[in-house]
Amino acid sequence: MSATIDDELWAALGDPTRRRLLDLLLADGHGTATSLSDRMPVTRQAVAKHLVVLERAELVVARKEGREVRYVVNDAQFARAVRQLATVGAAWDARLRRIKKIAESIQALRSMD
Amino acid sequence: MEYGTIEREIHIDAPPDVVYEVITTPEHIAQWWGFDAEFPAVPDGQGRMTRPARDGRGQLVVPISVVEADAPRRFVFRWVHPEDQPATPENSFLVTFELEPAGGGTLLRLTEAGFREVGWEAATLEAYYRDHSVGWDQHLPSLAAYVARVARA
Repeated sequence: MSATIDDELWAALGDPTRRRLLDLLLADGHGTATSLSDRMPVTRQAVAKHLVVLERAELVVARKEGREVRYVVNDAQFARAVRQLATVGAAWDARLRRIKKIAESIQALRSMD
Repeated sequence: MEYGTIEREIHIDAPPDVVYEVITTPEHIAQWWGFDAEFPAVPDGQGRMTRPARDGRGQLVVPISVVEADAPRRFVFRWVHPEDQPATPENSFLVTFELEPAGGGTLLRLTEAGFREVGWEAATLEAYYRDHSVGWDQHLPSLAAYVARVARA
C-alpha cells in the first residue's frame, strides 16, 4: 500500500466525529448518512461528508441501495489501523517492564546496604 | 479508544528518584531502550540516540529534544523529528513520563502522543524502532550484573 493511502487512512482516523461514526458502524453492522445522523449531534450533510472521507481511506465500503447509500466497515483495513497502533503500545509495555525491573533491582541493592 | 495516543501505567517498587534516574540517564536508557543516548536531561536539551541498524548496515540515528525535566516528577521529550529540524507537534512524537509516589514505590504513567498529527508513516517508523524482543530476552541475564555495578558506583 502506498504512503499516500497510508496518510489518508491516518488522517481519516484522526477526526473524533469519524471515529464515532466508525464506532456506530461497528456496533450496528451498517448505516446510512440519515440513520447515522439521527444518532449524532451533526447534520446529515456533515455525516455524508465524513463518510466519503472514510470511504476514500478504505475504512468503509459504500453500497447503493435505491436512493440511499449504505455503509459497512471494511474489516481488513480497520484491523490494519488498530494493529499498527497496538504494535507501538506493545513496544512501550516492554520498555516499561524493563524500567520497572532495573529500578526495583537498584532499590533492592540500596536497601541491603 | 484514542487512536492517536498511547497511555500506560505501571507500579514500581522503588521511589520516584530511582525511577527518574533510570528513565533519564544514558547508562540506564541503553538497558531499557537499547539506544546509546546522548542528550542533556534538562529543558530544551537537544541530542540524539543511536543503535546499530537492524539490517546490520550502519547506524540508526534518532533525534531527541527534551521538553520538561522536573526531577523526580516529570520527564517530557519529543523524538523522531528530522535531524536538521527543530521538534514540533507536526514532525515528532511527544513522550511524557509522570512519576507519583505510591505505597512506598512509584506509579509511573507514560503517554506517547502525536500519531495523528505526524501521520501514518511516522507511526510505522516508531513501530520499526520498537525493541526486538528476542534480542532483549538474550540481554536480560546480564542485567543483574549490570545493576550490581551501578549500585556500587
